[in-house]
Amino acid sequence: MSALTALIIKDIKQLLRDPKSFFMVLMMPTIVMAMFVMGYGEARGAIPVAVVNLDGGVVSWQLIEALKNSGNFKIVRYAPTKELGVELVRRGEVYAALIIPEGFSECVLEGRSTQLVTVLDSAYATVSELVWEAVVVAVQGFLRMAAERYGTFNIDVVKETVYGPKVSSVDLFTSVVMGVLLHLVPMSLIAVSISRERERRTFEQLIMTPISSGHIVLGKLLAYSIVTVSDMLITLGIAVAILGVRVRGSLIDLTLVSLLLLICSLSLGLLISAVSRNQLQAYQTAIFLFIPSLLFSGFITPVELLSPAARAFSKVLPLYYFLRAFKNIQLRGWGLGDVAWDCAALVVEAVAFLVAAVKVLRLRVE
Amino acid sequence: MGELAIETVNLTKVFGSFKAVDGVNLRIEEGVIFGLLGPNGAGKTTTIRMILGLLKPTSGYVRVFGIDVEKRRREVLRLTGYMPQHFSLYEDLTVEENMRLYASLYGMGRAEARRRVEELLEEFMLTEYRDRLAGKLSGGTKQRLALAVALLHRPRLLIVDEPTAGVDPPLRRYFWEKFRELKEEGVTILVTTHYMDEAEHCDRLALMSRGRVVAEGSPLEIKRMAFGGDFLELEVEGDPTPVLEEVGAKVVDSEVTGDFVRVRLLVPDAADYLAPLTRELERRGIRVIRAYPVSVSLEDAFIKLTAPIEAEAVAGCRR
Repeated sequence: MSALTALIIKDIKQLLRDPKSFFMVLMMPTIVMAMFVMGYGEARGAIPVAVVNLDGGVVSWQLIEALKNSGNFKIVRYAPTKELGVELVRRGEVYAALIIPEGFSECVLEGRSTQLVTVLDSAYATVSELVWEAVVVAVQGFLRMAAERYGTFNIDVVKETVYGPKVSSVDLFTSVVMGVLLHLVPMSLIAVSISRERERRTFEQLIMTPISSGHIVLGKLLAYSIVTVSDMLITLGIAVAILGVRVRGSLIDLTLVSLLLLICSLSLGLLISAVSRNQLQAYQTAIFLFIPSLLFSGFITPVELLSPAARAFSKVLPLYYFLRAFKNIQLRGWGLGDVAWDCAALVVEAVAFLVAAVKVLRLRVE
Repeated sequence: MGELAIETVNLTKVFGSFKAVDGVNLRIEEGVIFGLLGPNGAGKTTTIRMILGLLKPTSGYVRVFGIDVEKRRREVLRLTGYMPQHFSLYEDLTVEENMRLYASLYGMGRAEARRRVEELLEEFMLTEYRDRLAGKLSGGTKQRLALAVALLHRPRLLIVDEPTAGVDPPLRRYFWEKFRELKEEGVTILVTTHYMDEAEHCDRLALMSRGRVVAEGSPLEIKRMAFGGDFLELEVEGDPTPVLEEVGAKVVDSEVTGDFVRVRLLVPDAADYLAPLTRELERRGIRVIRAYPVSVSLEDAFIKLTAPIEAEAVAGCRR
């Protein structure tokens, strides 16, 4: 047996003998793919939209039927006026309002050209794009079908956005970048903190003093909060001052929401640290836990497009609440009161993680 | 008989299928230097860690000054100082920072902490290193710092795990002098070591082998236990055998050179036997040329006491 073979066999043995590594190496891809299929597979969700039917004629209802069948979005509300429809978008209850103008049926029957106004939420560019494409496809289908019955006519699909004409991609990515920086980085940083003490044996001396696991957990939380809060402020500062990211809401609200995520991430990291035996394991766990956040928090794909099961799962992810609150403040100009539920969820999760960490942390060396 | 500083009852620790500590019963009286002696892997550190509540016993229990360690560990910690086998302070903090940190963790006020830290810096010759990172200290200085930290809160019980492993002889001597001083102040000391010569400094010893205590007593008692008494050596002119048989001294070894006989004897107590035996031989006209007690080392005693266990274990492995 060559030296190389011997080394390979030795390493495989070591990996297989360490249950957690074994789990990471073999089970993680399986689990991640299962999550992916679960979230993005067949049973996907639909984007909520509102319809404002100012026409009310037969043809307008046929169009609505056609829109319903597009499958990509779901009509959840019917609003009586355009203003109310736009308000629904502004409040975030729907991602788009489809407005059928007065005299729509008449125009179709007379073979004239008419409009379908699509009011999109530019704060969620990806979703808006999807709605827009689906509307265009549905309208084209409707045109072909209706042409047989009513003769030729035309519908212009007009795009309008709620928050000004254009949201730059920098604006859109700010929440995502902040999310990564305030979640993965502090979480993995603090995740190794207690296991490092164990590895360097300082834990053995530390727990010979009459302190409790609460002392250790809170001490680390506060220390790491103080250190990483400066990171957070710098990141936010660069985004606003240098990249010129537009913030429609209050910068203070944005900072507060970011701080909540930071504390929540640190708390989760501490829980990881309390259960991990060594630094490597802690790192792996932190990264492993970041994957569902990446897939299901609205990070890559809007949560609305996920299957119901995955959507329910996303409700446990701190990043889900953060992204919602952050985008709503930054892009929609909401106040802290409007995102109170998201903030409350972050606080509840942080407390839960901390309590669990204190309970789980054993003041022993085994 | 003083109060018991440490009492362990049927203390057992099993790691998987390995019995690291197997039914250890120790009763350590207050104010003694108690040595836990044995080779690496005998279960000394595991025993100590269970005494300190750092490991949960698989079965059995520990009381320190009558306090149950499992249930009231924090009370025990206030009375106990611990110096682990490996340096366990923060290498990225300075000497003084480490000491100040631990003073705070033991609940000392600012003024009290400052006073105590100064006192210990002085006592352990650490003043010149106070601003140096602990990680940059030499091995011996690290050990002094570790002991200073273990003594910060003036514990009644000091537990030190292999304090002199890898330490040069002058520092080893220094450490044992410190232990003596602490004993004078009434501190009970539990020390583990695998240096047999050091173990002679202890008031009482427990010999551990493969997780079990194989012998316990003062160094002298342990040696007697191992060999069944003390050794004497005599060089005489004439045949000493009748006299030796009369007084009940067992001949272990003898060498005859012409009229001269050299015998090695086993007697219950060397000090009690030497003078009377010599006088009796002289009285019977056997000239005693030399007579002296033979010192045996603890190491010999240890090997004698553990040999059957080791043999059994080896046989067990083969089977």
